[in-house]
Amino acid sequence: MQNEVSLQSKSRLQDYEPIVGRSCIEELRMLSEQLAGRIVQNINSTFVGGGVAEILEHMVPLLNQLGVDARWDVIRGSDEFFEVTKKFHNALHGNAEKISKQDFALFSEVTQQNLEEVRFYGDILFVHDPQPVGLIARKKEIGRKWVWRCHIDVSNPDRKVWKFLRGFVVDYDAAVFSAPSFAQQLPIRQFMITPSIDPLSDKNRELDSGTIDAVLAGYGLTSDKPMIVQISRFDRLKDPLGVIEAFEMVKKSIDCQLVLAGGTATDDPESEEVLDEVRKRAEGNHDIHILLVPPESNVEINALQRAATIIMQKSLKEGFGLTISEALWKAKPVVAGAVGGIPLQIRNKLTGLLCHTVEGAAYALRQLLSNPEYARQLGQNGKEHVRQNFLITSHLKDYMLMFIALDQPSDIIHL
Amino acid sequence: MPDWLSENWVFIAVPVLVFLACYVVGLWARRIAYRAFSRWAAAGKWEGSPLIVQVTRTPFLVWFLILGAYVAIHISVLDPSTKALVDKVLVALFVISVTWMTISLAEKLLRLYIGKVERLRPSEALIVNIARITIAVVGALILLDAWGAPTTPIILLLAAVILIAIFVSRDLLVNLFSGFQLAQGEQIKVGDFIRLESGESGTVVDVTWRNTRIRSLDGNVILVPNSRLLQSTVINYGHPLKKATQPFRFYARLHLKELTGLKASNLAELLDTLKKVPGSVIYYHTHNFLEEHQYLTPEPANDFALWVSDELGDEVLGEKLASIDTFGFPTIAALRARIVGVIDDYLSKNPDGRTALKGREFHFIRSISVILRTPYVAHDLREFIEVLRKVSIDSLSFHIFEARLRLQKGVNDFSIWMEDCLGDKDLADKLAYLDPYNYTLEGLRSTIIQLVEKRIK
Repeated sequence: MQNEVSLQSKSRLQDYEPIVGRSCIEELRMLSEQLAGRIVQNINSTFVGGGVAEILEHMVPLLNQLGVDARWDVIRGSDEFFEVTKKFHNALHGNAEKISKQDFALFSEVTQQNLEEVRFYGDILFVHDPQPVGLIARKKEIGRKWVWRCHIDVSNPDRKVWKFLRGFVVDYDAAVFSAPSFAQQLPIRQFMITPSIDPLSDKNRELDSGTIDAVLAGYGLTSDKPMIVQISRFDRLKDPLGVIEAFEMVKKSIDCQLVLAGGTATDDPESEEVLDEVRKRAEGNHDIHILLVPPESNVEINALQRAATIIMQKSLKEGFGLTISEALWKAKPVVAGAVGGIPLQIRNKLTGLLCHTVEGAAYALRQLLSNPEYARQLGQNGKEHVRQNFLITSHLKDYMLMFIALDQPSDIIHL
Repeated sequence: MPDWLSENWVFIAVPVLVFLACYVVGLWARRIAYRAFSRWAAAGKWEGSPLIVQVTRTPFLVWFLILGAYVAIHISVLDPSTKALVDKVLVALFVISVTWMTISLAEKLLRLYIGKVERLRPSEALIVNIARITIAVVGALILLDAWGAPTTPIILLLAAVILIAIFVSRDLLVNLFSGFQLAQGEQIKVGDFIRLESGESGTVVDVTWRNTRIRSLDGNVILVPNSRLLQSTVINYGHPLKKATQPFRFYARLHLKELTGLKASNLAELLDTLKKVPGSVIYYHTHNFLEEHQYLTPEPANDFALWVSDELGDEVLGEKLASIDTFGFPTIAALRARIVGVIDDYLSKNPDGRTALKGREFHFIRSISVILRTPYVAHDLREFIEVLRKVSIDSLSFHIFEARLRLQKGVNDFSIWMEDCLGDKDLADKLAYLDPYNYTLEGLRSTIIQLVEKRIK
């Protein structure tokens, strides 16, 4: 059965012109002309929920506006299949998972069903993440260009799962990863394309002071003292207890407040436990505010980030960590753990401050709170860095460049 | 009937003779009058006189015929009511002939004079039509008045129509008058290079009664309403400067990052891999910081220097690598040899280097350059400046960094064009000696613009 989605664009391409400049939009149009007459067929496992669906939801309509015939299909699978792919996902992240022979067999079986059901009409087949990776089996029969887009941090994958998936990946024409450390030893071309944020989305667009004040009031917050904000799921890997510890060190010499805002994940039973620990740890300290933010509270998150004096992301392990770009886009100074894709977004002491320890985080916070001009400059640099490298327009450009480069193996391509 | 004619032949013959006499007088008067007019016109050498002769020759005779008919009718024995009716017909014929003649004369004179004013030529048809309609309407009103028809409501109706027409086409009229103003003041002429308040710029190719047409730097034609041109601030740089023998076509270079899968954890691994990776990898790691952080302070370090300092904690070697002057090397091969030489030398004296933490290794990335032809072209230095203000920093990077080092031209594209196509070696040398690595990309753009502006002042 065919599952194709028809999307209406949320933003018009020209709306990005005041943000990235006319020449950037002109370049996108010039690139798109090179792809005229070719169909880019995106295939993933869901139309809703998750980062990949969110990216495609924005990306496909914008490509269409540029005149690129981009389309989007999904594969089908049982709940058991998606449980197996969830295990794959965790294992690729480096987490220990028990994956049986039956799990691999189920993956192959569902892949076989999808090979019969999915209609392959694209000139470029752009397959996202591990769930549909097995569709490559059809390449021998139909040819065309096949690209596997890996949105997962595979810098330290479970070898057994990676070996299984690698068997499919090597048949693709190219693979795309989000960070240099995610690259693998593969006999095919590997491109690096970082994820992006949409500056016009609710999470990132400009907000007026009235909206920000209303959100603060809604959470019972005031901006009478400097506000340090960390927004992330209550997860040990985001080190909320470490953030509280660093805040308490700073608080001894500088009067400030801490906001820890986030949600709990239904697929992560540990998150409730972490939230309880955080609440317990913050008990009695009236300058620590623990906020449980429901999913899709994009305007609220935006307002909290814009109200912040400093934004923290003291992760102990991170994928690409796109929340950093969201924070930098608000021209805020950011203190973050030097893990995953964070150093790609923060060049230490130039676009933000990186830390490895609680003490390092406290030191960075003190530096920024004591030197507002330095903090402002880091924030400004950070915003420009995101404008140049991590907006959806850069993402569009990179995808089109990659599609063009598929046919041309040389280092310099004249169009 | 023959009896009636024999009794009344005098009442018929006299009016007919009077009518024929008027015709003869008319022929004679026309000859006398036109001879006199020709002599006067020959003395004055007015070029409109042949037109007057050509247009009025036939009506002149017609008017004498009408006069003859009028006198003949009045001396005839026709009853008064018939005479009154014929009078009206004769007046109508007279008004029609005068109107026709005036239209014809106005048309010919207007075409004669509009043809001499280049800026009004595109408006010729419009002006002639307006004159035709105005004269015809006046003629029709006189005719109606002569026939005793009430003209006041018609005049009011016409006034209302004219007012509505003016209201509807007020923009058109404003532009028309602005066009006249522009033409009269000679503020903007065909061939001038102008820049509008809105940022649009280009060469004026035409000034019509409604718009001014500007050929922009990307080859498109911009139509600017004349009224807007008069109301806004316009910088008129005057006529173009010396044309280049070949125009400069701007290209843009976009780059894609290809992961090699190669990585290094310590200096020895870095050195080994550096020796064998393609030149595009060396180019990437010596220009990546500059391009990704183009808004930051100048003279950015290469990725090798940053990694050695930040991840291996070796600030001495980091400093040595950062101080390698990329501008001093004409090719990537030479640049690679220098980087390898510095690490090799350091490693031979300090063999016990540190190893990077897991996850903080150096990953080798290859730069894939995709070169696009932009629509922007410069034929002279003025256009060159204007285009340089518009193009992306990807275009600037291509012509300054990529052309010199990666395409191995040894010098930037701008200098080559200025020397070869404009013959301006002095300016070409100034640009060639400019170390682009000492600037942010926007700073570099401003510096080049300033240099060229100084040159053309």
